[in-house]
Amino acid sequence: MAVADPAAPDSERTERSRALHRRWTSVGIGGALVALFLIGVLFGPVPIPPATVFHILAYQLTFGLLGGSPCGAEVSAARCGTLVLIVWGALVPEIVLAFAAGALLGLSGGLLQGIFRNPLADPYLLGISTGAAIGAALLFVFNVGLQVANVALPLFAFVGAVLTGAVILIAARSSRSSTETLLLTGVALNAFLSAVLVFTLIYNPVGNLQLDYWLLGGVFGANWPNDGLIVGGLFVVGVVISLEARGVNLLQLGGDVAQSLGVDARRLVSRSILFASMATALAVAFTGVIGFVGLIAPHLVRRLFGYDYRRVLPLSGVLGAILLGGAFDLSFNVVRATELPIGVPMAFLGGPFFVYVLYRYRRDPRRGW
Amino acid sequence: MIAVDAVPDPLVVREVVARYGERTVLHRVSLRLRPGEFLALTGPNGSGKTTLLRTILGLEAPVAGRVILAGRDVEAYSVRERARVVAWMPQQEELRENLRLDQYVLYGRHAHLPPFEGESDRDRAAADEALAAVDLRAKAARGILELSGGERQRAVLARVLAQATPILLLDEPTAHLDLGHQLDLLSRVRHLCRERGKSAIVALHDLNLAARFADRVVVLDRGRAVADGLPREVLRPELLLAVWGIVAEMKEDPRTQIPYLVPVLPPSSTLRVPAGLGRWIHVVGGGGSASPIVRHLVDEGYRLSVGVVPLLDSDTEVAESLHIPAVVELPFAPISPSTRARQRELLAAADAVVVAPFAVGPGNLANLEDVEPIVGQKPVVLVESTTTGRRDFTPDGAADRLLARLRARGAVTVANLPELTGALERRLGAASTGAPMTPGPREFV
Repeated sequence: MAVADPAAPDSERTERSRALHRRWTSVGIGGALVALFLIGVLFGPVPIPPATVFHILAYQLTFGLLGGSPCGAEVSAARCGTLVLIVWGALVPEIVLAFAAGALLGLSGGLLQGIFRNPLADPYLLGISTGAAIGAALLFVFNVGLQVANVALPLFAFVGAVLTGAVILIAARSSRSSTETLLLTGVALNAFLSAVLVFTLIYNPVGNLQLDYWLLGGVFGANWPNDGLIVGGLFVVGVVISLEARGVNLLQLGGDVAQSLGVDARRLVSRSILFASMATALAVAFTGVIGFVGLIAPHLVRRLFGYDYRRVLPLSGVLGAILLGGAFDLSFNVVRATELPIGVPMAFLGGPFFVYVLYRYRRDPRRGW
Repeated sequence: MIAVDAVPDPLVVREVVARYGERTVLHRVSLRLRPGEFLALTGPNGSGKTTLLRTILGLEAPVAGRVILAGRDVEAYSVRERARVVAWMPQQEELRENLRLDQYVLYGRHAHLPPFEGESDRDRAAADEALAAVDLRAKAARGILELSGGERQRAVLARVLAQATPILLLDEPTAHLDLGHQLDLLSRVRHLCRERGKSAIVALHDLNLAARFADRVVVLDRGRAVADGLPREVLRPELLLAVWGIVAEMKEDPRTQIPYLVPVLPPSSTLRVPAGLGRWIHVVGGGGSASPIVRHLVDEGYRLSVGVVPLLDSDTEVAESLHIPAVVELPFAPISPSTRARQRELLAAADAVVVAPFAVGPGNLANLEDVEPIVGQKPVVLVESTTTGRRDFTPDGAADRLLARLRARGAVTVANLPELTGALERRLGAASTGAPMTPGPREFV
């Protein structure tokens, strides 16, 4: 019966506007990913005519079934080989790596913020990223053959990340979830580990190991096998992390309440730190340490989509991809013909943006973090 | 009695000991919750109420003893299973995010959801019903932080109800609520016990609410269960004094038979008091004449003693109920020399003496005679209301002569209690804060 309930029209309207809002935001997110991808391949370090770029993409994505030259008729065969190498061999894997690493860091940040109920929890600020980088750097110090490096890198990074995560977990337990203690522990740990990382990178039998890459992050040197590994890992970790969403939701009411509602809070937290370390390690192994993605992505998601972690977690991944994709595009175009470490534009925009978010939150605490 | 229960009690707590570090917070606490029962758990701050509830929930592991939920040890339950048996409303729930109310209440269904599956229509119906039970259905689409304090407490209760457990543990559910909302919330809980067969342990500070709503009251004092029974059996003046340190009486509403508590100001030796400033007044009375004076002066913050009053006299009973030392003589017997001696000690030690308008006969003339020597040494106030009527029942008018002598030597006469207050304050002056206190009346009796 459509008897007018005075409260109904209003709530219905807000319900409908919410749905509309959501649909448009989804379209926006999809569009942003495509746009960032195109910007990345079209405005790379070497100017290539867009028609040629599209031709190369179409040829590669259809596995050459279209026939003809991979670059189209106008491009000479000799030049075509180079262009394919630039577009399909470097740019596309790099941007895919940027997307995937961004997604992993976003997921990791979203999960850490959820379980610590703290908007400042982030794999970078808590030192997990740096821990992973030390693990990865040690692989080079031990000078393991490059054949196993692809697989061994994330594993070494994972060990470093998990060990750091374990320290954070112990700190969180012993401080009885005091926010300040947890974060200060993370900051101190991060400073300490950064020193260890720099030391490892400078003084090792192999020689100076690309300090800027490990400390500020970069996607150069991306290749398809690595991408396969990280995207596959992203899929697994993404599913695993998203499955924790319900428990993380209840955890927002406090660990004890969550426990009384049937969530094994301690296990959830330990498990989550393991998963977040996994995600972080996978990203760091192939891109070095990139800050701010894990911090900002969940913030934005909560702002745009509310507090339900069933949405927050997967969307933190998506938004992380967008953020790092954007940073990738900027890394070519800020300083012409030089590829900046991707962490530089990320931090350059991320820092001020983060401060802005913090202050906005202060003005209206009702909007949550 | 030999009885075999087919259905085990929902909850049995047996000799539970709990510690926080070195400190033992529960000492062998036992209790039993019966089906459909509203059990009020009460006790002063820090008596262990919250810890007991947390131990029952399995949030704290007891050092010794057992918690048995529906016939099974609490430790034998998985977290999920337990959440289907017992639900908990914490003292203060941290609600930081402006969740939609219906979404929040659905959180209560977690333990009923199959892993990795969303809420079904059945869960939504349960949440809806829970909202209806607390009268919040109309606000289902509101953000939880937009609700008023009372509504928010009801929202938490709805979340607890959506859990659909036979046992409810509510920790101070009425904290921060005004009286109307307190009554509303607790009647809802009692209704749930009566009509839906839920069993509830409700930690309550407010003894009147406990007496009003509970089927049974358990009193915790410094981690020990010191009483367990019907409200009117448990909440006795002796217990209130021993556990809370308050002087109070339980009365009973004659219409509803609901017991209620009438607190008197704490004995002033335990309190910094406003008007009386802890001065000691000895009241000479008998025949009920001293009772209104004593009640009044206790409220004013004076420490009191009473003398010589006959056993079984209402003055004596009032003194006893307020834990005021009294010099007592057998009824209708003349005041004996030893009793007189004890009263003289009190008269000598008190800061002031008040003579109640009691009837004087040959048996208790000594009451007035002993006041005479102290007039002039300390303030003596005679209370003589105009409605008193004849006081002197001595054959030769000795009492009237004595009263006149007292007045002549400086005793003040007042007609009512406010005048009495004024007279005492003027005579005793404001006690300087650092002044040594006279020893309390207790040391003398």
